[in-house]
Amino acid sequence: MSASIRRRLMLLVLASIGLVWAIALASSYRQATREVAQWEEARLAELAQMLALLDQSNLATLANAHIDVREEERGGETSANDTDDDDSLPRDALFQVRTRDGDVIAGSPPLRALNAWDLPVPPVTGVQDVVLGGQTYHSFTLRDTPLGHTVRVFEQANTRSDLVSGVASRIARPALIALPVLALLVWWSIGWSLAPLRMLSDAIRSRDIHRLEPVDIGHVPIEVRPLVDAINLLLSRLLHSLERERAFTADAAHELKTPLAAIKVQAQVALAEPDPARQRLAMERVVQGVDRSARLAEQLLLLARLDMQEKMSTAPLAPGAVAKSALLANAGNAQQKNICVTLNCDMRAEINAEPVLIGILFDNLLDNAIKYGSEGGTIEIAVRREKEQVLPPSKEPLKEPLQEPLQEPLQEPAKEPLSERILVSVRDDGPGVAPADLARLTNRFFRATGNQATGSGLGLSIVARIAQHFGATVRFGTGLDGRGLAVDVSFPAYTAASAGPLKPAA
Amino acid sequence: MRVLLVEDDDLIGCGIEAGLRQAGFTVDWARDGHKASLALDTTSYALVVLDLGLPRVSGMDLLKRLRDAGNDVPVLVLTARGTVVDRVGGLEAGADDYLGKPFDLTELIARCRALLRRAQGRSVELIRYRELTVNPASQTVEVAGKRVPLTSREWAILIQLLTNQGIPQSRSRLEESLYGWQEEIESNAIEVHVSNLRKKLGANLIRTVRNIGYVMEKQ
Repeated sequence: MSASIRRRLMLLVLASIGLVWAIALASSYRQATREVAQWEEARLAELAQMLALLDQSNLATLANAHIDVREEERGGETSANDTDDDDSLPRDALFQVRTRDGDVIAGSPPLRALNAWDLPVPPVTGVQDVVLGGQTYHSFTLRDTPLGHTVRVFEQANTRSDLVSGVASRIARPALIALPVLALLVWWSIGWSLAPLRMLSDAIRSRDIHRLEPVDIGHVPIEVRPLVDAINLLLSRLLHSLERERAFTADAAHELKTPLAAIKVQAQVALAEPDPARQRLAMERVVQGVDRSARLAEQLLLLARLDMQEKMSTAPLAPGAVAKSALLANAGNAQQKNICVTLNCDMRAEINAEPVLIGILFDNLLDNAIKYGSEGGTIEIAVRREKEQVLPPSKEPLKEPLQEPLQEPLQEPAKEPLSERILVSVRDDGPGVAPADLARLTNRFFRATGNQATGSGLGLSIVARIAQHFGATVRFGTGLDGRGLAVDVSFPAYTAASAGPLKPAA
Repeated sequence: MRVLLVEDDDLIGCGIEAGLRQAGFTVDWARDGHKASLALDTTSYALVVLDLGLPRVSGMDLLKRLRDAGNDVPVLVLTARGTVVDRVGGLEAGADDYLGKPFDLTELIARCRALLRRAQGRSVELIRYRELTVNPASQTVEVAGKRVPLTSREWAILIQLLTNQGIPQSRSRLEESLYGWQEEIESNAIEVHVSNLRKKLGANLIRTVRNIGYVMEKQ
């Protein structure tokens, strides 16, 4: 049986009511019992007082007569009698009067039969309970009366007082009727109170994948509001991510069409060209176009994989070593443009990451720097350790490293004082990027204006995505000698403490 | 006939340029919107082939600016975003035709010809002028049913004069339609080409307008 709020509430409410009722019943019963006992005591004391005033002959007469307490009670208090008083037992009071020396002056004869004739007399005035012939009797002893007697009165204890049971039934009876009614009311109230939840679930159930606008079920109680808000938040995130996905697909299709168009045009030029040299040139351009499509497809796949992958196996690695091999791989391209690349790496700096992805990160940064750098320029790759302060204040401070709309914000580095970070930076002295474009550099398919080099506009999105995976932040600034572009990626440093599984950023 | 190609992608651009040259057009290639608007301000083109996704000034902005300035040069728009909304938006902004990437080079050239034809008020490709039959698509000229071979320069001058019948064309105007940006203009070349055309096609065909240039009279 699955958990039900209604059932649980019912149980709790009814159990609470029942418990309170039972306690009230018990305490009332005890109170009534005590009051009845006090009243009976007072009656016995009164009888004893009366007996104390009688002389010997009167006492003897009285001893042989019955003293029915109830008669007295009836005569005295007419209103005290209830119809539910089913106690019809005679309530004879017994007594014994002794002199100061202990000699019996008079006594009710049944006391002999109960073996109570010679019962020792308590030393002080007061109430005692005694057991006579298997029955409990209340007795009251009055010492040192004005006539010098000691009076003792007995009355059989009324174990089932009609008065007490009357009180109990008066409390219990309405409870027995009220409880089922209450249960029904509680059942209905809970159902009514839970109606917004049912409406909410109906509203959500009736949705399909194309209807992701916020749920609106009218007036919502404050307890349900957070749930509705949370669902609406989830829906809007879902909508955004779907829109992002659609936009990405459209962009990707668009970007794939461009190299395809180039291939087709060049192929047709080659087909129509009579001059063999020009035909060859066109065919070479066809090959270039195919290479470009392949690279684009590769980058798109990489991005898709990065988006899909939540957890990444990581290992401590030195970015300096990775930078070195990336430089070796790109040395040919740099040489073609006569670009001098300097490597300035602290080899002791270690980060916790995945080596292949860090390789891709360096590759993309270096490829960009070579592609967009000036002919005969300089590129500097640096890896160094830093305390907390992530970046030296740059001339053009750029706060927002990732401008990808709808993308989750980058994971903030831990704000521990003086925690060490590893700063990886690639700077060039090329024409750089217009300040207005800096913030959009990591947008997918964004290409800065005015550049002639071919590219997909995905390289820096890939860098940003990889950085995000390892808790790093990406910033852009001015490059070497106040010119060009600087890309700074700040990683949390690898320490034994941080060696545990890295929390995925996305 | 001089055509402005506005395309930022190197591979596509040089492909279209080569294709248009093969088809007998003189091609200027601007790689961004800024250069394109400079070219449009200084040169008169028979046709503009415009890619919409341009750096600096977007193709759509360029088109709007062009039409706002009263320039009604035929514009063929190229784009990778070939949705109906994009096409409609482009046509409403003043494009005369629309071609989605990847396109067929032969279709591109055919559409360019069609646009030029429409701009010249013709509905068929063949131009008939007295005993001349001129086919711009195959770049052939027949005089009284006999084919006459022409050089590409002669051909360009003939087309320029034929498509502007009755309007005298200055020497510089003819030079403009003859030479692209990269080409050096030969002095006296126009006179030489015109005299060759007269020899090949008939002495009365082209009239010299003193101090202005040349004209082919309206039929």
